[in-house]
Amino acid sequence: MSIGSAFSAFFSLITGKFPDAIARQYGYIKESEIPKPPPPPPLVKQSDGALQLLGILQRDSRLVDFLMEDISGYSDEQIGGAMRGVHEQCRVSLDRYLKLTPVIDGVEGTFTKLDSATGKVTKLIGNVPASGKAPGGLLRHKGWRAEKIDLPKTGMGEDLTLVAPAEIEVE
Amino acid sequence: MSHLSIGIDLGTTNCALAFAKPVPDNDDISPVELFPIQQWVHVNEQRAEPLLPSFLYLASPTDFQANPAVPRAVVGALAQARGAEVPGRLVSSAKSWLCHSGVDRTAAILPAEATEGVERVSPVTASAKYLEHLRVAWEAVHPKVAGQQVLITVPASFDAVARELTEQAATQAGFKNVVLLEEPQAALYAWIERHPNWREMVGPGDYILVVDIGGGTTDFTLIAARDQGGELALERVAVGDHILLGGDNIDLALARTLEAELAGKKTKVDRLQFQALWQQARIAKENLLATDAKTDKWPITILGMGSSLIGGTIKTQLKRQQIETLLLDGFFPEVQADEMPQRRRAGLVEAGLPYAADAAVTRHLAAFLKNAGTKPTHVLFNGGVLQSALVRDRILGVLNSWCDKPVRALPGEDLMHAVARGAAYYGMARQGKGVRIRGGVPKTYYIGIESAAPAVPGFRPPLKALAVAPFGMEEGTSVRIEDREFALMVGEPAEFRFFSSAVRKKDPAGEMIDDIGRDLVEMSPIEVTLPGDMGETVRVRLEAVVTDTGQLQIWCVAADGRRWKLEFNVRERVA
Repeated sequence: MSIGSAFSAFFSLITGKFPDAIARQYGYIKESEIPKPPPPPPLVKQSDGALQLLGILQRDSRLVDFLMEDISGYSDEQIGGAMRGVHEQCRVSLDRYLKLTPVIDGVEGTFTKLDSATGKVTKLIGNVPASGKAPGGLLRHKGWRAEKIDLPKTGMGEDLTLVAPAEIEVE
Repeated sequence: MSHLSIGIDLGTTNCALAFAKPVPDNDDISPVELFPIQQWVHVNEQRAEPLLPSFLYLASPTDFQANPAVPRAVVGALAQARGAEVPGRLVSSAKSWLCHSGVDRTAAILPAEATEGVERVSPVTASAKYLEHLRVAWEAVHPKVAGQQVLITVPASFDAVARELTEQAATQAGFKNVVLLEEPQAALYAWIERHPNWREMVGPGDYILVVDIGGGTTDFTLIAARDQGGELALERVAVGDHILLGGDNIDLALARTLEAELAGKKTKVDRLQFQALWQQARIAKENLLATDAKTDKWPITILGMGSSLIGGTIKTQLKRQQIETLLLDGFFPEVQADEMPQRRRAGLVEAGLPYAADAAVTRHLAAFLKNAGTKPTHVLFNGGVLQSALVRDRILGVLNSWCDKPVRALPGEDLMHAVARGAAYYGMARQGKGVRIRGGVPKTYYIGIESAAPAVPGFRPPLKALAVAPFGMEEGTSVRIEDREFALMVGEPAEFRFFSSAVRKKDPAGEMIDDIGRDLVEMSPIEVTLPGDMGETVRVRLEAVVTDTGQLQIWCVAADGRRWKLEFNVRERVA
């Protein structure tokens, strides 16, 4: 330690402000510089289920390939032919991981009564009274509800943003 | 007190497991239930499925990185799916290799077309992996109970060596108290289990033909119904040769037809696309042949391989007519009762599985019935291929054209699981809770004996065959050939040649066959080094024993009571 720095260290002890340079010289680490451990990541992110389902639909039916493809140049027949398999596989996957049931299990186009329970899960359209409520009407759409969702557990540190890995065939 | 019975169908392409739990204080036979098999279906997903695909994938260090929990040697749906992408690491058809006497079945030879550097496994180990998977899946749900019985099915055409290897695989997999059962018999047990009134459908003097066509093999068995002290008894009277021909061959032939059609339209199909084509051909076949099929053509679509789905899509279709032509002309043609399957003529056959040279199942059936010497009165169908009414009707039609009396089909259900169900039922039957089919050894076994003839340079002395275990020899019995003594060298290796015949069913033990013709098939040689002083010669008699579990053993018995067991040798056969 030089005479100069010794003095500055001495005075800083009196003033209460120890010079950084000197502290560092003796191996001290400034508290504000100690890296704080990052907060533990939430175990399940909001996007996880969505990404996982997208990954499953791509894996089983190649839905993402289809949606992302520019189909303007293809004939209806070409699109229809390819879609048959995509549709079938999508359906299998949905049946496996989600249980989709109609909200109102009625016949579309027929008069359907509404009660307090069904009223909450129904969207009224057309000549809706001023009160915003109606005793019933024509069932236009049965609606869908995911009764249960049963996605496989994801592995630790699995990158769900990887909807489909790139594929390379080794010749 | 009865015990839990577990029936395992260890199939060429799929395994199934069924079980029967004893009902306390009830002497009735317990209902048989199917056990869904938990398995990896994707890298991050396990699921219970009714069948376990008999595939083993030997993972590379970079496989399944997303989930370290996936075993490095994975079995089932995931193995099958990943193996389609990386065929050099996929073990398939291990069962067909298990009964291939031309190779060393305990040596690490699979995958047969392994990528260089991939560590191979033996057919026995691969089979053990499937069985181990089943055991672990079962034990995860059901606590182990004392005295449980495990029944594993094998083709009736499996020889004594293949049976011993199957038992070895079961031991390796951690199973105890294993009993083997022939698949066609298991199919008949399943039928009996489903039809408590079965005695009204068959009677004394009837012969039931079991036609079992699975994914990889075709198996025939003939079972006689006889009157035994007023009771109807069943006895297995003939089994067919091992025919490597099954549903996979049909699907493959359909895929090749489609591939050729596409090639005609200048569309080339690469290896991965062909895999997809094979799958699609199978789906098309199942849909077009379904009893309630409404259409006579099925679209075949192979989606583009890259991210462009529609752009690369290959489209074609399979017509019902094409399937019918292939099935009815190729695999199940109308043939005469005396038409024999073609034998392979080529001197050199590609190393690999000895697939049937003749694809016509009906010709193999004709040969089987000719050898059996009896015409059936009933037929029971089993195996995935026979889910198609078209195929069943054709076989029934052909059988009826051969037989004077009409042949009736016994109604079978759930042809994919019948064998496992029947095995579980048999486990109960062994405990006295149901009818048993008498069977015994399915072939006559012979030992080769060199005749004492003057040496001729360049020629081997003529070989004779001595029957040691007669056809139908039953479990828990033994037979000793008293009137013939052999000089046995102990303390040094000695080799015995061994033959079997599914055709010669009347040779008693001790019968000497001078001319080893086509009727006798040579098995792996038996090699043995019998403990004793080197150079000592012991005079012995031969004794055949069939254990309670149906395993055939050959013993040398000395006059002083010493006994040596001759082990089936599974080393490569030296041609």
